[in-house]
Amino acid sequence: MADGALLRGTGIGKRYGGVTALDGVDVEVRAGEVLGLIGPNGAGKTTLMDVVSGAQDLDAGTLTLAGRPLAGAPWRRARLGLARTFQHPQLASELTVAENVLTGRLAARHSSVRGMAASMLRGLLSTATGRDECARLAADMGLDDPGRLAGELTLGEKRVLEVVRALAQDPQVMLLDEPFAGADATGIAAIMEAIRTVRRRGHGVVLIDHSVDLVASLAERVVLLDSGRVVFEGTPEECLASSEMRAVYFGGGYDRT
Amino acid sequence: MTVDRTRPAGALRRPPTAEAEAETEAGARAGAGRPAVGLPRAADRWPPLLGAAGLALVAAWAGGSAYHQDLAVLFAVYALIGLGMYVPFVMAGSLSMAYGAYAGIGAYAVLVAQVKLDAPFWLGWPAGCAVAVAVAVLLGLATARLSGFFLAAVTLLFGTAFQRWLVASEDLTGGASGMAAGAGPAVLGWHPGRGVLMAAGLLLVWAVAWLVDRLRRGAWGVTVRAAREVPLAVESCGVRTRALDLLALATGAAIASMGGALFATFQAGVTPETFTLDIVFLAVFMPLIGGLGTSWGAVVGALVVVETTVNLPVLDDSGKLVLTAVVLAVLLVAPNGLLGYLDRTRRRFAPGAVRGGRDGARG
Ligand SMILES: Nc1ncnc2c1ncn2[C@@H]1O[C@H](COP(=O)(O)OP(=O)(O)O)[C@@H](O)[C@H]1O
Ligand SMILES: [Mg+2]
Repeated sequence: MADGALLRGTGIGKRYGGVTALDGVDVEVRAGEVLGLIGPNGAGKTTLMDVVSGAQDLDAGTLTLAGRPLAGAPWRRARLGLARTFQHPQLASELTVAENVLTGRLAARHSSVRGMAASMLRGLLSTATGRDECARLAADMGLDDPGRLAGELTLGEKRVLEVVRALAQDPQVMLLDEPFAGADATGIAAIMEAIRTVRRRGHGVVLIDHSVDLVASLAERVVLLDSGRVVFEGTPEECLASSEMRAVYFGGGYDRT
Repeated sequence: MTVDRTRPAGALRRPPTAEAEAETEAGARAGAGRPAVGLPRAADRWPPLLGAAGLALVAAWAGGSAYHQDLAVLFAVYALIGLGMYVPFVMAGSLSMAYGAYAGIGAYAVLVAQVKLDAPFWLGWPAGCAVAVAVAVLLGLATARLSGFFLAAVTLLFGTAFQRWLVASEDLTGGASGMAAGAGPAVLGWHPGRGVLMAAGLLLVWAVAWLVDRLRRGAWGVTVRAAREVPLAVESCGVRTRALDLLALATGAAIASMGGALFATFQAGVTPETFTLDIVFLAVFMPLIGGLGTSWGAVVGALVVVETTVNLPVLDDSGKLVLTAVVLAVLLVAPNGLLGYLDRTRRRFAPGAVRGGRDGARG
C-alpha cells in the first residue's frame, strides 16, 4: 500500500443491544509502529479488538490488513497475520506452558485441514515436535518452567504466556489487551521487549491500556477512545497535553483503580 | 463489562528498570542453553510397557479356554470402542453416541465382504473404517453449528435408526438373524486359530492405545485439548476448531469400527443385537473408570466393564448394578480414574516427574 498502513479500520460501528460500544471509529496501524489505544473503562477498547480479530461481528465499517479485506471467522483473520491476547487471559489451564505456546505454533505451521491431518500423523511419529522451541520461546520471556500448568500461573505470568503464544504465530499485527494489568516488573519488562521485537521486525502492535504512562513510553501514536468515539489522536506527548485527555481522564471522574 | 484490576498502581507506572531488562536477557540466555524440557522421554516408556505386560497377562489368563478367549476378545472390542470414544469425547469434548453403530459398520463390513462379495475378510476392515468416517463427518457437519447437545441427540438417533436398518435390509445384512461366515478368516490360504486371532486383537489394542496416547500429546492433540477449554483463543491463533473436531470425530469412528471388525473376524458372525446403545453407555464410563489423563485409561476401563458386566460370578443381570457401584466408587475415591490414582500414589514415592498437561475429570 502506498500509505504504509498495515491495519486499517474505517467507520467501525458496533452495538450491543441498546449500548453503542463503537461509533464510527477510524483507526490505522502502520508497519513498525506501536499504536497505543487508551481510554477509560467502557470506552470500547476491547470491543474494537474483538471486531478486528473477529471475536465479534461489526455492524458497520470495513477492515483491511496489508491491503486485503479482513473479514470472516477469527481463524481466517489470524491466518492473514493477526494475533491477539485477551483482557481475561484465555489459556488452557490443564495444559502446560509449552503446550499452550504449541497451540499458536500449530496454526502458524499447519493451517489447512490437510496440514492439520499431516500434523496429526507427525504427532504419532514424535510427540516432541516443537515442544522444545516453545519452551525456549517461553523461557526467553521469563517463563522458566515450561512444564507448569497454565492454570497454576499468576495473572501476570498468564499475560506473559498469552504474549508468547501470540509471538509464536509471528503475526504482522499483534493486538494486546491490557497486557500489563497484574504483571510484575519482570513480566512488564518481558512484554515490553516482545513489543519492541515485533516493531523491529517491521510489524505493528496495538497496545491497549487505560493508563497512559506505560503506553506513552512505547507507542509512536496514541488514540484516545471515549464512549465508542475517537476523541484524540496524536503522539503521546500531544495526547498527554491535550484538553480532551484532561476532560476524559480528570474531568469525568475517572477511577484509576 | 467492568474490569476489576488488582495491581499496585506503582508497579505499573514504574518504567522498566535496567536490572529488569538485564534479568530477562539472562533468563533468555539460560533458556537457550537449556536441555529438552517439558516431557522427560523416559517417563513415556512406562505406559506402553505396562500396557503390554497387562495385555500379555490377559492373553495368559485366556489360555486355551474358548470361553476365556471369547471374553478376552470382547475386552479388546470394548477397549477399541472406548479408545474410539476417547479421542472426540475426552480430548475434544464432543459427545457422540453413535459408537455402537460405528462398531456395527466395522463388523458388517467384514461379513459383507466375505459373504456377499466373496472377498477376503480383511478388505472389510478399511472399508468399514471408511464408511464409519464418512458417517461421523456427515453427522458432525450436520450439527457443527449447534451446541454439543445436538451432536449427542443426532448420533443417538442415528444409532437406533442404523439398528432398525440392519434388521430391515435383509438382502444385505441378513436381517434380524444377522450374518455368519461359513469359514473363519483366511490370509493367503492360512486359517489362523482362535488363539492367534485373540493375540492379534490384543496386539491391536496395544497399538491403538499407544498411537492415541501419542496423538494426545502431539501438537495436534494438544491443540484439540486446548480448543475444548478456550475455543476462541485457539480460533484466534488461526486454527479452524470445527475442522479439529471433525478430525477427532472421524478418528474415533475409525477406531470403533475396528473394534466391530475385530469382533466379526473372531466370531465369524454378527447380529443387529451385537452392538446396541448399551455399549455406548459403557464406553462413556470406560475412560472415566480407567482415568482421563491417558488413553490407557480406556483400556483399563474396558477391563473393569467386561469383568463386572460379563465375567463376575454373581447373579445374572446384576452386572450393570455392580458396574454402577464401581463407577460411583471410582468417582468418589479416585476422581481421576484408577490410573490417575496409581499415578498420584507413584508420584508420592517418586516426586519430580514432570509430564505433559492433564485432562481434567470433567463431565
Ligand atoms: N459482550 C458484550 N455484551 C454486551 N455489552 C458489552 C459486551 N462487551 C462490551 N460491552 C459494552 O460495550 C461497552 C464497551 O466495552 P469495552 O469494549 O469492554 O470497553 P473497554 O475495553 O474500553 O473497557 C461497555 O459499555 C460495555 O458494557
Ligand atoms: Mg477492556
